[in-house]
Amino acid sequence: MGEMIYVPTTLEEALQIRKETGARPLAGGSDIMVQGKRGIGLCPELPYSVMIISGLDELKGITASEDGSVTIGALATPSEIASSSIVPWHVRKAASGMGAIALRNTATIGGNIGNASPKGDLPQPLILLDAYLVLASERGERTISVDDFIIGAKKTALMDDEIIKSVVIPHSSFTYSYYRKIGMRRANAISKLSLSAAMTVQNGEITDFRASSGAAGPKVIRSRSAEDIIRGRKIDEIPSLKEDFLSAWNDAISPHAMPEYRRHTTRRMLEYFLDEISRGAEPGIIGEE
Amino acid sequence: MLSEIVFYVNDKKTVFSGNPLTRLIDVLRDDLHLTGVKEGCGEGECGACSVLKDGKLVTSCIIPVGAVNGSHIYTIEGIRDTEKGKCIVDAFVEGGAVQCGFCIPGMVMAAYALLESNPHPDDEAIRQGISGNICRCTGYDLIVESIKLASERGGALWEK
Amino acid sequence: MPATGINDRIVRVDAAAKARGEAKYACDYTFPDMLYAYMIRSSIPRGTIDSIDMPNLPEGYYFISAKDIPPEGKNELWMIAKDWRCFADGDVRFVGETIGLLVGPDRNMLKYLSEHIEIKYTEMEPAISINDAIALKGGPIVGSDNVMCQLFVEKGKPMEEVFREADSVFEETIETGFQEHVHLETNAAIATIEDGKYTIYASAQCPFYISKAVAGLLGLEQKDIVIKQTTTGGAFGGKEHFPDVLCGPLLVAEYKIRKPIKLIFDREEDMLYSVKRHPSKITLKTALDKDGNILGIDGLVYYNGGPYLSGTYVVLQRGVFHANGVYDIPNTYVKGIGIATNTFPSDAFRGFGAPQTLFAIETHMEHIAKKFGFDPAEYKSRYFLKKDSETITNGHIIERVMLPEMLEKVATASDYWRKSKEYKTGEGRGIGISFYNHGGAFTGNGEQAIIKAHARLVKTGDRVRIEVGSTEMGQGFQTTLRKIAAATLGISIEQIDYDNPDTSKVPDSGPTAASRSTMIVGRLVQRCGEEMKERWNEGDFSVEKEYEHPEGHPWNQETFRGDAYLGYGWGCAAVEVEADKLTNEIKVVGIWSCHDIGHAIDELIVHGQVNGGIVQSLGYASMEKMENRKGYFKQTSMSDYVIPTSMDFPKQEWSLVENPYEWGPFGAKGMGELVFNGADAAYIDAVERALGITVHKIPMPPEDIEEALDAE
Repeated sequence: MGEMIYVPTTLEEALQIRKETGARPLAGGSDIMVQGKRGIGLCPELPYSVMIISGLDELKGITASEDGSVTIGALATPSEIASSSIVPWHVRKAASGMGAIALRNTATIGGNIGNASPKGDLPQPLILLDAYLVLASERGERTISVDDFIIGAKKTALMDDEIIKSVVIPHSSFTYSYYRKIGMRRANAISKLSLSAAMTVQNGEITDFRASSGAAGPKVIRSRSAEDIIRGRKIDEIPSLKEDFLSAWNDAISPHAMPEYRRHTTRRMLEYFLDEISRGAEPGIIGEE
Repeated sequence: MLSEIVFYVNDKKTVFSGNPLTRLIDVLRDDLHLTGVKEGCGEGECGACSVLKDGKLVTSCIIPVGAVNGSHIYTIEGIRDTEKGKCIVDAFVEGGAVQCGFCIPGMVMAAYALLESNPHPDDEAIRQGISGNICRCTGYDLIVESIKLASERGGALWEK
Repeated sequence: MPATGINDRIVRVDAAAKARGEAKYACDYTFPDMLYAYMIRSSIPRGTIDSIDMPNLPEGYYFISAKDIPPEGKNELWMIAKDWRCFADGDVRFVGETIGLLVGPDRNMLKYLSEHIEIKYTEMEPAISINDAIALKGGPIVGSDNVMCQLFVEKGKPMEEVFREADSVFEETIETGFQEHVHLETNAAIATIEDGKYTIYASAQCPFYISKAVAGLLGLEQKDIVIKQTTTGGAFGGKEHFPDVLCGPLLVAEYKIRKPIKLIFDREEDMLYSVKRHPSKITLKTALDKDGNILGIDGLVYYNGGPYLSGTYVVLQRGVFHANGVYDIPNTYVKGIGIATNTFPSDAFRGFGAPQTLFAIETHMEHIAKKFGFDPAEYKSRYFLKKDSETITNGHIIERVMLPEMLEKVATASDYWRKSKEYKTGEGRGIGISFYNHGGAFTGNGEQAIIKAHARLVKTGDRVRIEVGSTEMGQGFQTTLRKIAAATLGISIEQIDYDNPDTSKVPDSGPTAASRSTMIVGRLVQRCGEEMKERWNEGDFSVEKEYEHPEGHPWNQETFRGDAYLGYGWGCAAVEVEADKLTNEIKVVGIWSCHDIGHAIDELIVHGQVNGGIVQSLGYASMEKMENRKGYFKQTSMSDYVIPTSMDFPKQEWSLVENPYEWGPFGAKGMGELVFNGADAAYIDAVERALGITVHKIPMPPEDIEEALDAE
């Protein structure tokens, strides 16, 4: 029968259980309960011990710091994130498009990152924004970027005694932003493909340019070398750089046997983002109706 | 560490001392006999098992009972005889929102949560509000109309 | 209490209990000492069972299989044929075929035991697709050629002659996929013994089908098994024959154990191990003159039936009889073949074979129109069937056909003619249109020859009870039938009772299928009511009537010639879309429809049926992709087999034309299936125009649209 299930009431207690038993944290349950699903009237079972951390107040809340960064507690739900005006746009947008309302009231940002599903909605914009995690253990706290934390599909750098405490998103300010998720239908859908892009322009110079692709491979893809093709150049150089960039991005996402549809659509969306800027689009969100 | 989970279902104190990973839906249906909560998919995709947890809409099939300690849960049985609950149920009945009915208790809960947070939603907001509740029978139009009816008819009721 | 008029706006009689969560579905029943059952199924698509190693069963646990069928019984479920076995024995023919039933008091223990049963097989190569089956992959499954059933119809001149005269020939093959019902309530049944009789509570459309199908397992007669229908949470054909597959094993278990036993499928079981809509492959070859006029159509229709006949032959017949759509094609030859594969048997699904051929003919006609530069609606309207037109089965259209009026209504509401002209092909916006029909009730004289439906009204004081075997499954029949009875008797609907059927108490009024309930059973109740009204002052009494077929409409079930249907529902739908050229996502921005259902008994119920049927059809065309790889369905849940949400399609505009039907109650015809039969083709027409592509299959999610674009 099943492994041990714990319900700690404080972070201190949770860290102790984590260290002593290696029990994995269950925050909202929307992933783990489905993984362990056994049927009607049956208690889910998992091949590992679990601690239900939903009640830990230390992991809740969304706060802004003086340096402009935003700290989101690991137990913050997509609903809370989507409705918080201090959370950066890309993340709010992704949170508001996650599953359906009930799921957005149940899932957590910590769980969405910790589960490391290639189809997870939140890691993609977080990686775009160079967000990092605060991991807590009885040994203390350490930080790691979300990009480094997620190693591959369902694989993370979380150590056996650690839990995700919070996510910190550094300040950023973009001239142009883009986000798009393609699901299997128009609502309540798992992501087939998602893309974020952002650009900062000062006096005609592209001081920042980033993109990230979700659900395109085992983990979110960002290619800083591809971004460098555009970053630091002049805005009127975009038409001449575009092909190189698109081809570099295609190479970055293509090593895995990726369906043509996802590859082509990613390319078309990135091209659209760059074309709109070249065309002199108003600063702000690109492609928003 | 909690050795038992204490929570409130339709205002009634409930103490659970079994496996904390037990699905909330099983506690509601099997232990408390609240069979208005329906299981349509068992993985939070269809909304038939929707209940309110501390005022928020959740699907009880993916919530472990260990995650509801201290929470207030309301099921269809807990709202159907309240003024607001009756307003929605009556609108659903008169508006032709009900066909096979299996999704409907969950749909009523979604409508309740929606009108509590947005007393006078437009069509788009209503469609958003029930987008996690799958109905295979109606094509949704008459459900949307019925929720609009409940909003109009309830009037100030929803602003309380 | 005021009398209820047939056109009064009333509320559904079952709505309040359902909305309040008080209606009891099968899953909500418990009985003292009730046991649970868990189905053990084949895990391979084709092969022989070498051994079944059981773990030690604790006391009070049972494994029920073919060996538990008593000597006087036979291991067969009597659907239309008797080929589908209750339990696989010796060999297995599809993934999910029932091998046995684990029964016991604790569901956890059942699950544990199920995980420790070891079944060894010798596997054989399966045939999965229609092409596999034609190629006899792995050797024939049925007979020598995998043909389970076949038929042909012909009208007019021989095809050789027609094609000899043709200036050109337009040929294409159109394919449709599996579709899963996804009734929100999964399949469920409970077997018990009440008053010394085997009694089964079931979520089902056709209680009498179940008793007929399972009685022979114990060597009993149909009347020895009592079926009580529980409130049924959607069916759409998925609970027509399929409940037999749950109730058969349950009955054998009940025979051995004699305690209440409950079997409920969870969603994954219901998704993977239940019947689906028949995938089809339809080749239409059309002879044309130089101006694009149709001289004749030669059609070949394949339906993938799985390894057992179940409803396939009947589904195929309806498919073939609808193969010319709503068109008077002068010369036709259509052959239909039900082919055996090693997928889960295909069976009834709203439309019952008509949607596949209707999609094919609509799309084919639209392709011909575009090839010759005609507007599809204008081109199609040249061929509309009319009263007295000869049908594909050499019968005649008996009723007035109002398609021209319906086209007019839909075109006006949708601004079709302007949009059709102004939206340039491939520029991202398109409008599409389709026309369709659905023959009401059983084919030909089936209602008289096979079904012989009965209905009864029982008067007690000033209350009247309806006794029929017809079921409410969401379509509103509890309300519709009460309304017919009340309006006929001139009393209030409040005075009418109509319980979920119990086969020991009500006459068999035939299956709740084939859009026949209102038209046939409703008419029977009306006839009972007419007599009861005349005799109202005689005290307490009952009136029972049997179906009578109208004279002068011959049908030959051997040659498939004659009047296949005495009345059709007719439909016209337009769909407008916007295509996102970055992602190939399609957004539907408008849906307009007009239907001829004779006369609507209850407009609100009809409104709900129209909306729901059209959304199911749009799901079928766009997102509902169910793939089978090597015998295994790839989609296992409601997150990967997606059906429409409230956000996927916009509010519909709909209308009806009034065209009272001579033999229906208050002029009503069938409509439950009709409304599924055409929006798919209108959607595909619109998508083709928006993107400048040609589509030959459904469903068409964005990935498949991308492929079609690449192919251009």
